[in-house]
Amino acid sequence: MTLAALQDTEIPDGALLVAYANGDRDAARILAGRLAPRILAQAYRMLGDRAEAEDVTQEALIRLWRIAPEWRQDEAQVSTWLYRVASNLCTDRLRRRKRSVGIDTIAEPESGAPSVAEEMQDRARHKALQEALSELPERQAQAVALRHLDGLGNPEIAEIMDISVEAVESLTARGKRALAALLAGRKAELGYENDH
Amino acid sequence: MKMTTEKPDMNDFELDEIFASARRTTHEVSDDFMARLLADAAMVQDEWSAPPVERNTESGGLLTLVWSMLGGWAGTGGLAAAAITGLWIGIAPPDALSVIDDAIWGTSVDLTVFSSDDVLGVEG
Repeated sequence: MTLAALQDTEIPDGALLVAYANGDRDAARILAGRLAPRILAQAYRMLGDRAEAEDVTQEALIRLWRIAPEWRQDEAQVSTWLYRVASNLCTDRLRRRKRSVGIDTIAEPESGAPSVAEEMQDRARHKALQEALSELPERQAQAVALRHLDGLGNPEIAEIMDISVEAVESLTARGKRALAALLAGRKAELGYENDH
Repeated sequence: MKMTTEKPDMNDFELDEIFASARRTTHEVSDDFMARLLADAAMVQDEWSAPPVERNTESGGLLTLVWSMLGGWAGTGGLAAAAITGLWIGIAPPDALSVIDDAIWGTSVDLTVFSSDDVLGVEG
């Protein structure tokens, strides 16, 4: 069976993690194949920097490997746990970046957009979004990123952040309002010059 | 509450476009990065399966055991210094030590249960 086929099998992440804890190296391979792309994408959308996103993914997975022997399958989903860890690592980095690094030094995000013009616009918007996210309170930034960048549903975000669905709705609503205000002065630069 | 500003906030549509732009930016997992992740996983597994560090008992025996119980060279060095100091104090105690010695053991005195006078006149 190929690796790709194994990744598509129905073995739950929790069972694979237990197998990993029991010394199964293939379990780690399948789990990393399933989870690393999602965590890397999550980190990259929030941080916009390849090296930092890889660092976060690597750190989150090392924490997962280390906790494997104590993992209890009935308590949490592996992906939820990993999202939480990665999300916290990302917001930590955004906060440190805001404190210690000039915002102009943040790496330009890469883009998979097809045309050069669209790609440039996507990059500019992504960069502006990261800068605005770093200005938000940590929990708001986390909720907005999980909802609008990673496309997760409110119940899953509630589980990741260990809060109620109502609290998620409140955080994302306030976060969006704050982002709209923070980005107001950059509308022309981001391609919305016809709106004012 | 937001203060009066010259520029209106982004509307929901514009903000959604910003989110969509961010979602379009991608970063794939490279083979090299995946190899690093799997090396981490293997390293953690190896940590669990590594045997505990064992003492080398083949070249030792009882003397080695005593030696290690005394703390090796560092421990026996201190022990030797303490022994020599004790020996020297026994041979030539400093003056200050005699005060302490007296305080602990007291000074020696001569006592007699008989009076020096021949009260019964038995000695003639």
